[in-house]
Amino acid sequence: MSHEVSHEPIATETDVPTDSDGDVMIEVEGLKTYYENSGLLGGKPVKAVDGVSFDIRRGETLGLVGESGCGKTTLGRTLLQLEDATDGEIRFDGVDITTLGGDDLHEWRRNAQMVFQDPESSLNDRMTIGEIVREPLDVHEWETPQARRQRVKELLDTVGLQREHYYRYPHQFSGGQRQRISIARTLALEPDFVVLDEPVSALDVSVQAEIINLLEDLQNEFGLTYLFIAHDLSVVHHLCDRVAVMYLGNIMEIGPTEELFTDPANPYTHALLSAIPEPDPTVERDRITLHGTPPNPRYPPAGCPFSTRCPARIRPAEYRDLDDELWNRLNTLRDLLSERQRAERSVRDRLRAVVGKDTRFGTVEETYDELFGDQKVPARVQSVLDEIATLARNHDEGEAIAVFNEAFGSVCDDEPPAYHDVSDGGHQSYCHRHTNEYRSTDAVLENRHG
Amino acid sequence: MSVRASFEPNETTDESRSLRERVADNPGPARFWLLGTAVLVALEFGRYMGWAQQLVGAVKYVIGLVGLIPTWIGDSVGEATVPIVSYFVSDAITLVLLFGIAVLVTRFTSWSAVDQFDLGLSDRLVRFLERAVLTVVLATIAVLFAFTPVGGLVNGAIDGVFNTLSSIPTLTSREVISNQGHRTPGGGWDGTFLGLSPAVAWGIRTLLVYGYALTMIVWTWKGYTIFREHYRKADWTPRDDTLRRFRTHYWGLFGLIVVLMFIVTALWAPAISPTTADQNIASPYEYEIEYLNDDGDVVTTTPGQANLNSQSNGQNTIGPMSYDDYDRWSPLGTTSSGQNLLTHIAYGAQTSLVIGLLAIGLGGLIAVTMSMLTAYYKGIVDILTVITSDTIISIPAFLLVMMLSVIFNQGNHPIAEPLNGGLLLGLIFAFVYWPGMWRTIRGPSLQVAEEEWVDAARSYGQTPVNTMRKHMAPYIAGYIMIYGSLLLGGIIISTAALSFLGLGIEGSTPEWGRLINDGRSFVGTSSWHVATIPGLMIVLVVTAFNALGDGLRDAIDPEADTGGTDDTGTAAAGGGG
Repeated sequence: MSHEVSHEPIATETDVPTDSDGDVMIEVEGLKTYYENSGLLGGKPVKAVDGVSFDIRRGETLGLVGESGCGKTTLGRTLLQLEDATDGEIRFDGVDITTLGGDDLHEWRRNAQMVFQDPESSLNDRMTIGEIVREPLDVHEWETPQARRQRVKELLDTVGLQREHYYRYPHQFSGGQRQRISIARTLALEPDFVVLDEPVSALDVSVQAEIINLLEDLQNEFGLTYLFIAHDLSVVHHLCDRVAVMYLGNIMEIGPTEELFTDPANPYTHALLSAIPEPDPTVERDRITLHGTPPNPRYPPAGCPFSTRCPARIRPAEYRDLDDELWNRLNTLRDLLSERQRAERSVRDRLRAVVGKDTRFGTVEETYDELFGDQKVPARVQSVLDEIATLARNHDEGEAIAVFNEAFGSVCDDEPPAYHDVSDGGHQSYCHRHTNEYRSTDAVLENRHG
Repeated sequence: MSVRASFEPNETTDESRSLRERVADNPGPARFWLLGTAVLVALEFGRYMGWAQQLVGAVKYVIGLVGLIPTWIGDSVGEATVPIVSYFVSDAITLVLLFGIAVLVTRFTSWSAVDQFDLGLSDRLVRFLERAVLTVVLATIAVLFAFTPVGGLVNGAIDGVFNTLSSIPTLTSREVISNQGHRTPGGGWDGTFLGLSPAVAWGIRTLLVYGYALTMIVWTWKGYTIFREHYRKADWTPRDDTLRRFRTHYWGLFGLIVVLMFIVTALWAPAISPTTADQNIASPYEYEIEYLNDDGDVVTTTPGQANLNSQSNGQNTIGPMSYDDYDRWSPLGTTSSGQNLLTHIAYGAQTSLVIGLLAIGLGGLIAVTMSMLTAYYKGIVDILTVITSDTIISIPAFLLVMMLSVIFNQGNHPIAEPLNGGLLLGLIFAFVYWPGMWRTIRGPSLQVAEEEWVDAARSYGQTPVNTMRKHMAPYIAGYIMIYGSLLLGGIIISTAALSFLGLGIEGSTPEWGRLINDGRSFVGTSSWHVATIPGLMIVLVVTAFNALGDGLRDAIDPEADTGGTDDTGTAAAGGGG
């Protein structure tokens, strides 16, 4: 890596020596893309991409994986300036494209193109294939109209369609063929960099392989650089040189594909990889099941973004002996408390609370009964829980959460981790477990889930 | 692939030549068609020049109106502040208007200073300078026209040329086949074409008009097929499919035929009417006609006097296909004030066409533009448009039309002059109905703005205007056409209703709604035709516009295609992916 990979709040960063193989094409630094509230009064923005930094080297394929809604598509769109970056820099061959505008941006767009996820939606049904593929050439006034037509026919050839398809309409083609048309349009301006936004996820499995092979061939032929966004890990494994794993607007781990797949460093990557189905039924494998749902990107956790669901979360020393199930319940309790804190109570709710009727949140007793009724709760835990219950009953959720964090919180909840090098090949992970004071992720997962 | 190899060189040479070169290679069919067109145009040359003159008049009127804007605004500002300010304000607004024209001119011409000179400046700046220079040129021309005799000279020259050209007799002109004459005591006719009866002369002329229009349409179609067969580069284009779909859409064809007949009637109104509107309706006491009276003498009277004795008002009826007492032929009878009903309807078609097309054209343009802008940019533009349109919609449409119409008419505003307020009515309808049209197409616009192909267009740098035009507008076109054609009927009816209330088009301009109003009390009598015939015409025209809209929508939408499975089959079979 040619520059330091960092997370915003961390002041001390580790300087990584420049990687030897391939020169860097795109450097992303501290990139943030927030969606502001559409209302006039503002409010908290949705933090779709919340400070990511990475490089893309010339000629490589960088995979970007993560579950739905983690911000990977937004990241891809921001790289192409389809969304405005809120903060941070994107340097494309040294030029910060987030500051480009007008003619410069128009000129730059030649270099970077995108293949969209849904071939049904990415082609205008009222235009012929020829018009669709030709449009980028027309926009950039490429040579003469005759030459453009000729080039379009050659492109159709290149992507495995026929020249006669020039006058056909998109609706006369299958999904795979439509994706080929989309790829032909992408290649029209001979870009250097292509963002592939889940290009095969909408296709039949049999067709997926053809498109993947086509993309590989085109990369070899034209020397393209790909950012491959996907949630299908096996496709990523096959196609990508390096992989970045994203969660809640942050890159959790980035590294060479083979290394990342065989020796994942981050707990989230562990969990993701364990979700890949194993074709051999006799192989004994433990799936790491993640509890709950990802947090609301409007209110990300203060510490590590994955802290609310992490299977290897660092626990305070005095409660280390509690069993995993009780920890899950405690995490649920914290989620509920923060939810209650955010939810605005209506006048009706307040009235019902005053006259002692049920509110839609349920009483604290009910919640406790549900969570801990069948659990053996040690006395020292129970005393903390009682304190929390008292506060919650008085609708002082903020204080309750403070008490909870005081007792059960750890570094994971309090401060964002730093990126740690886990090998020499530019493999980095975003986790507190890599510091020396804590046990390694592997050992913890082995212990808790093994 | 051997097939492709042998096919390709041919294809490339074919494609690299312009239309002119292709025609030069094979001039036969083109020459044949152009000759035919020349003959057809020559037959009605005078009439075409008449239309051109009217068009020039309309353009001059619009320019005159726009030219008044700076003074109006300047004077208002001057009254509110210091009088001297008014000059600056009006000059500044003039320059802004001229700059706007310069922007339009540079946008629609392919020549651009950016390509021609390398000044070392950014493209944006060069384009701005180009427009600024053009503004100065336009301002010079405007000053030249307004303050020197040049304007008067040019104006006079244009008028003179058109007056001469439009007076050339044509195939269908009244002078060539005249139906105005009178009986002779001997039983024949005097003054009519070949001494035929006015009914036959009129019939021949009417047939010639529709026959000529039909020939013109067929010849245009023939021209297209010749182009397609001999000169077009591709052997197939999407347009072919659109035409094929429309040709089998019988409901749409019905609409097209009726709408074309309506338009032909409006355009050739002077030829189709047995008498002119000026002689029969506008100034009937300034002309003289001769007729054979009961005593067997040929006497002279004015059309106005004759009209008084030819009324269809229940007691006295001149019905369809009959002569009145003054030897005047009335194919559709007379109105309750004794005017010729067909003359009234033919000229009324002009009025309806102008109002309807102006209202739908302008209103639809505003609606489509606003829906594109609001769907593409959203945010503050959207909110402002919603507020504006809601404000207009919240006032009952008809009340608003009445109010505006009264204000402008009573104020003797220059806009209220043309067509006795017809132009004004068209503008008012456009203003009142655009929010409704915008609302109808807002949903589809927002939907299409979310499509990925709009994002794709942005990703390769397509300009917002072109994105809206190419990637959004075609999806809205179907909706606006259907809604526009529905509304067109509504506007014809509303115009009629306004005339009914005595607020719409008054005076000498013929209007269908006023005919219905005039004749409604005689529907149960022998004078039933006065209200019934225009009523049926309205129904027919409104239905036809709906049918045409329907057919067009189905034709331009490739996905509505039901026929031609062979195309789909081959495309799906090839390529394999």
